[in-house]
Amino acid sequence: MLIEVFGSGCAKCETLTQNAKKAVELSGGDHAVVKINDFAAIAARGILGTPALAIDGKLRFQGKVASADEILSMLKA
Amino acid sequence: MVESSSFMRRRGWVPLALLLWIALYAICHPLSEWIAFGLFRLTPKSHLGESVAFFLYDGPKVLLLLTLVVFVVTFLQSFISPTRVRDTLSKRRAGLGNALASLFGVITPFCSCSAIPLFIGFLRAGVPLGVTFSFLVAAPMINEVALGLLFAMFGWKIALLYAGTGLVIAFSSGLVLGQLGMERHLEPWVQDVLKLSPTGELEEERPSLDQRLDQATQGVRDIVGKVWPYILGGIAVGALIHGYVPQAFMAGLLGRSTWYSVPLAVLVGVPLYSNAAGVLPIVEALLGKGAALGSTLAFMMAVIGLSLPEVVILRKVMRPRLIATFVGIVALGILLVGYIFNAIL
Repeated sequence: MLIEVFGSGCAKCETLTQNAKKAVELSGGDHAVVKINDFAAIAARGILGTPALAIDGKLRFQGKVASADEILSMLKA
Repeated sequence: MVESSSFMRRRGWVPLALLLWIALYAICHPLSEWIAFGLFRLTPKSHLGESVAFFLYDGPKVLLLLTLVVFVVTFLQSFISPTRVRDTLSKRRAGLGNALASLFGVITPFCSCSAIPLFIGFLRAGVPLGVTFSFLVAAPMINEVALGLLFAMFGWKIALLYAGTGLVIAFSSGLVLGQLGMERHLEPWVQDVLKLSPTGELEEERPSLDQRLDQATQGVRDIVGKVWPYILGGIAVGALIHGYVPQAFMAGLLGRSTWYSVPLAVLVGVPLYSNAAGVLPIVEALLGKGAALGSTLAFMMAVIGLSLPEVVILRKVMRPRLIATFVGIVALGILLVGYIFNAIL
């Protein structure tokens, strides 16, 4: 699956990226984590709060940091 | 199917925590007096005794009230997503749009690091520039921590006064900015993004009740966990003032009869950057030393509502002229509020 992390380089965005990578490791699956920093690109996707995370093009949450466990359960669902 | 038993435990935990909260709140006062005058054997009515008792009572009381307010507000916030706010505000006319935007600004979860995506997202969905500004002014200025702490430290009247005047400033500055037709003072790349058709948007999911409760618990952990040292520090200063410092110390500099006290408060407040938790202990100290309420409210609004880092962030989407107009109009609103309250209270 494709995990996209949207954020403009703030500390929270970095934490979320790390959590997403940890979740991928825990899942043992073949998932890619992509980080999107560009304001124009973030805005073009209709995101209103950073950090945000999408899985396979579907926005799962915005404006918060989810734990690795939470992201893991989203990957399994 | 993430263990339904643990979800049940989470739900059952809420009434238990509420009972515990009520019990703690009820024993706060007698316990503080017992520790100060019984355990430490301090003399009631002495400088030291009154300071210690004040700290032991006020510290836990403020933290308890803040915890409750943050939990309730974060829970309510989980029902209001920025996406839904954006859709409600889109294509609204000035006036009603500004009023709604100011109100939504208070209850929508907001972090200044999200200001840019939110700003562009609103404009793209057809929210007028002036209405977007009303939201951008209200969101940082009136938030759950500011209101919770004002309520806990100074009572509901001052909390309401702060919220009410903040709303008026957000409403009117957005209304004025909307009339100026400054859309062309947005940065060129923003104008380009605004022309894109809104395709490729992500779909949002609705959280369950358990997720909302989780969010509220997490909010308490994040916010109260971050601000408690500031609050205790501030209350310690307040306790010393309560016991030792003579009243009317600040009356000369920030008193209501000093004409320059409000502009001084705003000039000092705007470049300072702090959250509500950092500024409220200062506010308490200022008020305790005889500063006027209008000047103090103006100072608090200037610190929380306008800040140098926010201007730097907004510079990425706005040209200098638009930023200067925005800061100027909001600062003017804060000045007026300061003068009005100094005059009538």
